[in-house]
Amino acid sequence: MSDSGAGTTDGTGPKTGVDAGTADRKSTGSDLAVHLDGITKRFPGVVANDDVDLRVERGTVHALLGENGAGKTTLMNVLYGLYEPEEGRVVVDGEDRSFGSPRDAIDAGIGMIHQHFMLVDPMTVAENIALGNEPTKWFGMAVDRERIDREIRDLCDRYGFDVDPDATIEDVSVGVQQRVEILKALFRGAEVLILDEPTAVLTPQEVEGLYEVLEELTDQGKTIIFITHKLEEATHAADAITVLRDGKSVGTVDPGGTSRKELAERMVGREVLLEAESEPAEAGDVVLSADDVTVRDARDIEVVSEIDLDVRAGEILGIAGVDGNGQAELVEAITGLETPDEGTITYDGTDITEWSRRQRIEQGMAYIPEDRHERGLVMPFDLVENGVLGSQRSPRFATSGRIDWPGVRDHTEEIIETYDVRPPDADADAQSLSGGNQQKFIVGREFERDPSLVVATHPTRGVDIGSTEFIHERLLDLRREGVAILLVSSNLEEVQALSDRLAVIYEGEFIDVTTPEDVTEEELGLLMAGQRPDQRDAAGSVGGDDR
Amino acid sequence: MRDRLAEVLDRLVGASALERVLISVAALFAAVLVGGVLVFVSGGFATCRTGLDLAGWTFCYNPMQVYYELFLGALGHPLEGGWQLTNFGLATTLQRTTLLIFAGLSVAVAFRAGLLNIGTQGQLVVGGLATAVTVVYAAAIVPGGFIGTVVLIPLGVFAGAVVGGFYGAIPGVLKAYGDANEVITTIMLNFVATGVTATILSWQFQDPNSNNPQTRPVPEYAEIPNLPLIGFSGRMDFSLLALAFAVALMIGIAWLFARTSFGYELRTSGLQPEAAAYGGVDERRMTVASMTLSGALGGIGGAFWVLMVHGRWLENVPSLGFDGIAVSVLAGNSPVGVGAAAFLFGVLQSGSRSIGTGTDVPPELVGILSGLIILFVAMPEFFRMLGLRFRPAGTSQPARADGGEGGDVDE
Repeated sequence: MSDSGAGTTDGTGPKTGVDAGTADRKSTGSDLAVHLDGITKRFPGVVANDDVDLRVERGTVHALLGENGAGKTTLMNVLYGLYEPEEGRVVVDGEDRSFGSPRDAIDAGIGMIHQHFMLVDPMTVAENIALGNEPTKWFGMAVDRERIDREIRDLCDRYGFDVDPDATIEDVSVGVQQRVEILKALFRGAEVLILDEPTAVLTPQEVEGLYEVLEELTDQGKTIIFITHKLEEATHAADAITVLRDGKSVGTVDPGGTSRKELAERMVGREVLLEAESEPAEAGDVVLSADDVTVRDARDIEVVSEIDLDVRAGEILGIAGVDGNGQAELVEAITGLETPDEGTITYDGTDITEWSRRQRIEQGMAYIPEDRHERGLVMPFDLVENGVLGSQRSPRFATSGRIDWPGVRDHTEEIIETYDVRPPDADADAQSLSGGNQQKFIVGREFERDPSLVVATHPTRGVDIGSTEFIHERLLDLRREGVAILLVSSNLEEVQALSDRLAVIYEGEFIDVTTPEDVTEEELGLLMAGQRPDQRDAAGSVGGDDR
Repeated sequence: MRDRLAEVLDRLVGASALERVLISVAALFAAVLVGGVLVFVSGGFATCRTGLDLAGWTFCYNPMQVYYELFLGALGHPLEGGWQLTNFGLATTLQRTTLLIFAGLSVAVAFRAGLLNIGTQGQLVVGGLATAVTVVYAAAIVPGGFIGTVVLIPLGVFAGAVVGGFYGAIPGVLKAYGDANEVITTIMLNFVATGVTATILSWQFQDPNSNNPQTRPVPEYAEIPNLPLIGFSGRMDFSLLALAFAVALMIGIAWLFARTSFGYELRTSGLQPEAAAYGGVDERRMTVASMTLSGALGGIGGAFWVLMVHGRWLENVPSLGFDGIAVSVLAGNSPVGVGAAAFLFGVLQSGSRSIGTGTDVPPELVGILSGLIILFVAMPEFFRMLGLRFRPAGTSQPARADGGEGGDVDE
């Protein structure tokens, strides 16, 4: 959205000479880089921002914390010139500003790194950074590549980035791509960087790397605003936290002086249980069992190797593991999207290995898929149409081949209401919802299928605290009602808190099956890294790589 | 640049129905403007006795007159005296419209299921032959007159649909079970259809009274009849009944898409096969089923071509199936849109004929004018489809698979 094209501007490279100002920045305590004063932004039917104040001090990391739909991104889009507020002032560097477009905001030294990276995959890092701002030579006839390289190298040195300017974007990791986005903003002379949910796409190691980058940037006098709904991130990385709820600011706090619980309550507006309480299970009969299930991928490599598992009625079996260790394939074999190469799957005492996906759904299997964009929702369909996905031939919604759309609509509106999907509009396209709300909708649809087995993959990924809590409660409700639940998650807290039994998957095998009480989070982490339980005590050796 | 392109695509994808109609109308005007300039300039290079003299050049063609003939000639010159509803120009227009509705629906059904059926032409060719042969042979055992009409026409249409459907099912099966790209197989099967029908014709069904490669004629009572009062009685090759049937079929397909489980599954498969599989749709069966339906519609087109236009099957089948692709694209693959697009094509084809008789403009230039109109009107829709195709892919990138809130209110 930001680059408006071919306009090559000489001399909009990184601004130097700001360093002079950084020396005394810490002494002047109330030096505001950005001041949003009483911002109100309305959309048809919604007040996205209601008289929001935000004061961001120069050289600090300021977190904007709030649930999905609290108005965080809207507020930042106002600052970035994408939206014009109905009321309120945007003050940058003590000057009243009114940005008509992101271009104006960029000129005022504001850079935004969107969740969705705006990079051209086949081009190099350097080309991406300079794109739209190429310094030119020969009177604008050619791009001054040397200057680009020099400036990028200077920036990398200055902020300690380890980025190869000649690498192609598609060859570098997501973490590096994010750094390229940051460099792009710096190259354009950004003093204030807005990061929208920067950790959502990163691995834990990359998140640590990002924190270091943020620290380096603020040390050099840059100001960071980052949008998040995750408490840990806000408390860990920010110097100040402003909490938004339902479009209103509910105060700015110092992360040192508040507990996580307090913050969570401020954010949600009521008391929250950060960990779901689960009473001991009263497990019944075996509902689902897998015997020696083996799945090979297209290249005939075993990705799931002879896995056995049982899930009983009223029990949650958790599968923990680092993504890509076969859990996805195992789940697809169970849910009928893939046929196992060997082994059998039994459901309610019947061998269902050869059953179609539809038969399994009809039998009462609910499935929250890992990939909500590809699988769980048809993006161009509205929520009503998505509400019937999987039930389009069930007698509940279809008689003699015709879908009962009014009935589906009622059902959809119930899901929206119960699971707090925002905006509460059954006619909204699935693709217009944010990730968290999409997830809530899928969870609602699958839970309300009246299932006897729920296969839930990362059920709360991308979902805010309030809704996570709700989804966990519903999961426990279902368990209480005697539903068998297979929970796959890479979120350790989640599997530990909810599971009755816990299996750790590594390279397509269960390397341990235990209960959450018998294992610490640390041990779980080691298991997930492939260190077998019998090797756990073997004097710090890295024993897991025996395969 | 990329952002701007994405923005434009987004805008087009998000366009409302009214906006899309307005875009099409604006595009039509733009095409007329560009074509008008082209006609005028070309006139400067032609030789003629009377023309507009300007700065030493003589411009032979009057763009206004050309477009007058194109649009109003297709309706039989309604602004001139003695106009009747049932005129030759309008009959030609509606005849084309009728046939193109079938062909367009055929392509649209496949496209909505995510399949590019380039083979409507072949399905139409084999379906048409099946119709002609069935009716010619069945006429021997069915009494003539009214009973003959009531029995033979449905039988003929049914035969066309079955054989066309079977011919469409072949690439469907090849795709579903052999992973063969349907674009390639359907294109190849078009040639196969032409060759096989020619062989079958000369082997068994050639009209002994003619040197042209064609079947014997169906009995006159087996041709689709005109309505008694408002029929185009002067013309034997168009019937309002046929048009009414085409429109009914169009509404039926729209209903199928919107209301039925099958239609829902078909659309889901077309938009997002992964989600369809998740929702319990058997991808292979859906591929075969939608290709069969598509082929059957093509076959019905062939049946009407035989029973309404010529009363027999001719080896030289016009390119209705290929025009059907353009009709469907222009209609954004919406069944009701197919009706409108087919009418536009009907106007252009009939109007071109009118230009040929009413002006000196050479047919090649008329072809360019029609081409310009199709190009201009179809382009926004074409880009919209591109946008639809590629946007879901964009949204699946990890960067959006997160807890962001931006989508709540913007986009």
